[in-house]
Amino acid sequence: MPSAETSAPARPLLAIRGLRKSFGATEILKGVDLDVRQGEVVSIIGSSGSGKTTLLRCVNLLEEFQGGEVLLDGEPVGYREQAGRRLRLKDRDLARQRAQTGMVFQSFNLFPHLSAAGNVMLGLRKVKGMGKAEARAVAERWLARVGLAERADHAPSQLSGGQQQRVAIARALAMEPKLVLLDEITSALDPELVGEVLATVKALAGEGATLLLVTHEMRFARDVSNTVVFMEKGLVAERGPPGDLFGNPRHPRLIEFLRGTRDH
Amino acid sequence: MDDLITEAWDARDVILGGLLQTLSISALAIVLGTLLGVLVGVALVYGAWPLRLAARAYADVMRGTPVLVLVLAAFYMPAVLGLHLQPFAAGVLALTLFCGAHIGELIRGALGSIPRGQTEAAKAVGLTFFGVLAHVLLPQALRSLLPPWINTCVEMVKASTLLSVIGVGELLLRTQEIIGRNFMTLQFYLLVGALYLVVNFAIEQAGKALERRVAFR
Repeated sequence: MPSAETSAPARPLLAIRGLRKSFGATEILKGVDLDVRQGEVVSIIGSSGSGKTTLLRCVNLLEEFQGGEVLLDGEPVGYREQAGRRLRLKDRDLARQRAQTGMVFQSFNLFPHLSAAGNVMLGLRKVKGMGKAEARAVAERWLARVGLAERADHAPSQLSGGQQQRVAIARALAMEPKLVLLDEITSALDPELVGEVLATVKALAGEGATLLLVTHEMRFARDVSNTVVFMEKGLVAERGPPGDLFGNPRHPRLIEFLRGTRDH
Repeated sequence: MDDLITEAWDARDVILGGLLQTLSISALAIVLGTLLGVLVGVALVYGAWPLRLAARAYADVMRGTPVLVLVLAAFYMPAVLGLHLQPFAAGVLALTLFCGAHIGELIRGALGSIPRGQTEAAKAVGLTFFGVLAHVLLPQALRSLLPPWINTCVEMVKASTLLSVIGVGELLLRTQEIIGRNFMTLQFYLLVGALYLVVNFAIEQAGKALERRVAFR
């Protein structure tokens, strides 16, 4: 993966412009703008219901959105314009675009009928068209990088929550996505397992992976991110380097939010 | 007892022929019905509404009709349209349609019980709809489906006896023909009953072995 230093393209890797998303009459995202540069680690914080997770899901096209655009490496994702009308892309094109971003979920979502290695290999084989031996080798390499070389042939049910989440990280990263989306990946873990997963993410960030993550771990957001974004009521309310955002918050809701998270 | 052994030995080719007929009818109906059932189940869960409606109507009609009526209908109705099906083909058609409806409902239930996160994780990896279905959803659905599917297989073997009414020479009809010659009613019905028991017991054991093999560890 190229690091931020070696390649600093003028245009951001991910550009979100005026993103609007409603569930029925409820507007969840009200015109979000957000850039993520190559090699950058961006953390989104905010209270529940602020639209953080929905934003990630829109980027990975798991949700449709009604307005604005998401550009990945300059390419609009999810929709195309035809004669002034906005049309959802076909399944095959959506799949191709989703393969360019990796996603790790709060609830792991490992495939229970496959081993740890099988989980990592599925996309390599069926999306990238790798042969079995090559996919296995790649899977083993990634499992080793998340510290699970010995668990390659274990079923998900034989792994702890933290181990499952690390397999999920390996599954996402093995596809060599341009961007990795991490959606509250430690929220479903027992407190003593949170550390191992965060250490894994930190290592990836150190190696130059481009990460956009939603987290409730303020210390982690402060440690790992280049940029922290505070979302409030479907909009980006404040953004900046972690030192500024945590050290000198300006938005009244952010001040209140940070006070709330410090209490526990 | 000696009489039964002698008579059964004399009729061994007839009995074996009937048994083979029963096994091939059942196997065909189960294989074709399962393929049909997968399509019906997927249509019921993911189909656009006209397709879903058609699958729903099909499943409800088939499951609400006695199998004997389906067998008779499959034999006599195509003739009205000028299409002449052999009794064997008509019988397999009826059982396949019946089996497909049942398996379709089983698949629908099994697919519906898979958490949404599975589909989302599979999509996130970059799989298309059919990729998600083939590599993530169906393998999981088929596992939870195995016990009721084995049950359906056994039901199909038993339902194959109904084909005797349209003259398919399966095990029951052949046995009735033998009884017609030697009048050993009770003995031969017991014998054929034992044969069905053996077949179905074998299916259930094979199913249990399969379940152990594919169970999530």
